[in-house]
Amino acid sequence: MIFLTVGTQFPFDRFVRAVDNIFDQGLIDEEIFAQIGETSYKPHNFESVASLEKRDFDERVKKASSVISHAGVGTITVALKNNKPLLVMPRMKRYKEHVNDHQVATAKKFQELGHILAAYDVKDLPDGIRKLKNFIPRKRKASPVAITERIRHFLNSLQD
Amino acid sequence: MVLSKNIKMKICLTASAGGHLTELLKLADSWQQYEVFYVSTANMVAKKLKQYGPTYVVGECNREHLLQVILVLVRCIRVILHERPNVVISTGAAVGCIMCFLGKLLGAKVVWVDSIANVGWVSLSGRMVRHIADLFLVQWPEIAEQYSNVEYVGAVI
Repeated sequence: MIFLTVGTQFPFDRFVRAVDNIFDQGLIDEEIFAQIGETSYKPHNFESVASLEKRDFDERVKKASSVISHAGVGTITVALKNNKPLLVMPRMKRYKEHVNDHQVATAKKFQELGHILAAYDVKDLPDGIRKLKNFIPRKRKASPVAITERIRHFLNSLQD
Repeated sequence: MVLSKNIKMKICLTASAGGHLTELLKLADSWQQYEVFYVSTANMVAKKLKQYGPTYVVGECNREHLLQVILVLVRCIRVILHERPNVVISTGAAVGCIMCFLGKLLGAKVVWVDSIANVGWVSLSGRMVRHIADLFLVQWPEIAEQYSNVEYVGAVI
């Protein structure tokens, strides 16, 4: 099962429609379950829900063979944590999919580091989905400890 | 504002549902010993947050929808007047920014951790909060070099 997710803020019709079309072309041989948020396009090849409780979301990622999504950090985080192959397509401001194009930069950065695959346009999606099968994400070594220590130190300093 | 050790600090933890909140919750070790409450944007995260502390859902807003911003602002004002936190900690975005400014107006200290999603520059919310933040962290070293009063110590993921 492939888990498709687009987050909850702003529609992402371009992406959901494209994946549905790719399914029509027979290029996806697995079931898909989708979380499509405010997207108005309803896919006919797979089941979709608007939103998921956080716990259900995490469970969906855990059970999925791979994940395809917008380039949101929430999804990237959960996918990396579970070592799941992830293909992202960044939301773009020009299609009113987000307030700016920061998802393009996020996608590029995490792609360069070998953590994810990225498609920057619907025409790159079929190739990305094909590569996803054999993609082994590079593990990310970052840990929040340095930041939590810094914040703890700061909070302590307020009480001296 | 320096608090006596006897007075328990109250911390407002605030982030939009989704990636921002995922990042915030990864920092939970920072505030274990303090009284906290949560402010987020969507009901679907409320159930999870309520396990950790009092939780307020103020709704989603962004700069494209001004009316919604005003509505959320009013809800945030209600929360801040009711809770009166000593510190506001946020990972963004718009709602976190609003809570930081409201908190500051009431004398709270402000901690901002800019999302790892911002790989080339500080987020719009972050650029505003930077001027009032008491601790401002970014998650890519190359961003810290571009701004004053901005620190890089590591990344959450």
